[in-house]
Amino acid sequence: MSYQEKQNIVNIFSGVLVAAIYGWIVYQKHIQGSFDLTEDFAKWGVIFLIFIGISIVVRVVIQIIFHIINAIATREEDVPVADERDKIIRLMAIRNSYYAFSGGFIVSTVALALGMPVYGIFIAFVAFGLIAEVIDNGSQLYYYRKGS
Amino acid sequence: MSKSLIQNNIRKLRFHSGEMTQQELADKAGASRQTIVAIEKGNYSPSLELAFRIALAFNTPLEEVFTYNTANDLH
Repeated sequence: MSYQEKQNIVNIFSGVLVAAIYGWIVYQKHIQGSFDLTEDFAKWGVIFLIFIGISIVVRVVIQIIFHIINAIATREEDVPVADERDKIIRLMAIRNSYYAFSGGFIVSTVALALGMPVYGIFIAFVAFGLIAEVIDNGSQLYYYRKGS
Repeated sequence: MSKSLIQNNIRKLRFHSGEMTQQELADKAGASRQTIVAIEKGNYSPSLELAFRIALAFNTPLEEVFTYNTANDLH
C-alpha cells in the first residue's frame, strides 16, 4: 500500500474521530444546559470556529504521528512528492467532495423550506461537511487502489 | 480514468535497459513508481511533458515509447 493510500485511510479515521468526539462534547454541554443550540445561533458560529481550530491542530499531530510510524515501519523517511497523477487524483476527489457538499446544501435548503428547524441546517452542514471529507479521501483511496 | 488508447512499450524498454526497475524509471522521469505502474498497465495517459521525460530516460524517441491505437479510436 502506497504512502498516499495509507494517508487517506488515516485522514478518514481522524476526520470522523475528531468530529464525533467534538460533536459528542458539544451535545453533552447542550444537554447539560451550558448553552441552547436550538436558539443561540451565535454559539453555532463559535462552535464551528473552535472545531476548525481543534480539527487542524489534532490532524496535524495525527499526520506527524502517522509519518513517524510509517517511517519506522517502511524505513522511508521522505514524504513522496506529488506528481501529475497525484494532482489529477486529488482534483477528481475534490470534485466528488464538492458534489457531495453541494448536494447536502440543496437537501438542507429544501428541508429548511419544508419546515426543518433552523438549527437543523447547522447540524446538516456538519454532517454533509464530514460526508464530503470522507468522500474526498475515499475517492482518492478508490482511484489509487483502482490504479488509474 | 478509463483504459487509454495510448499504448506503450515501457516494459520492453525497461527490459532492454538492463532490466531497469520501475522505481529507477520513476526517479529518472520525475514521477512516482505508482504512476509508472499505471502508465505501464495502460491505466493512465501521461502528460506530454512526462511522456518526453520517460522517453528521455530511455534515450529513445517518444514514438518508440508511446503509440496511439487508431484502430479503437471511434472519432
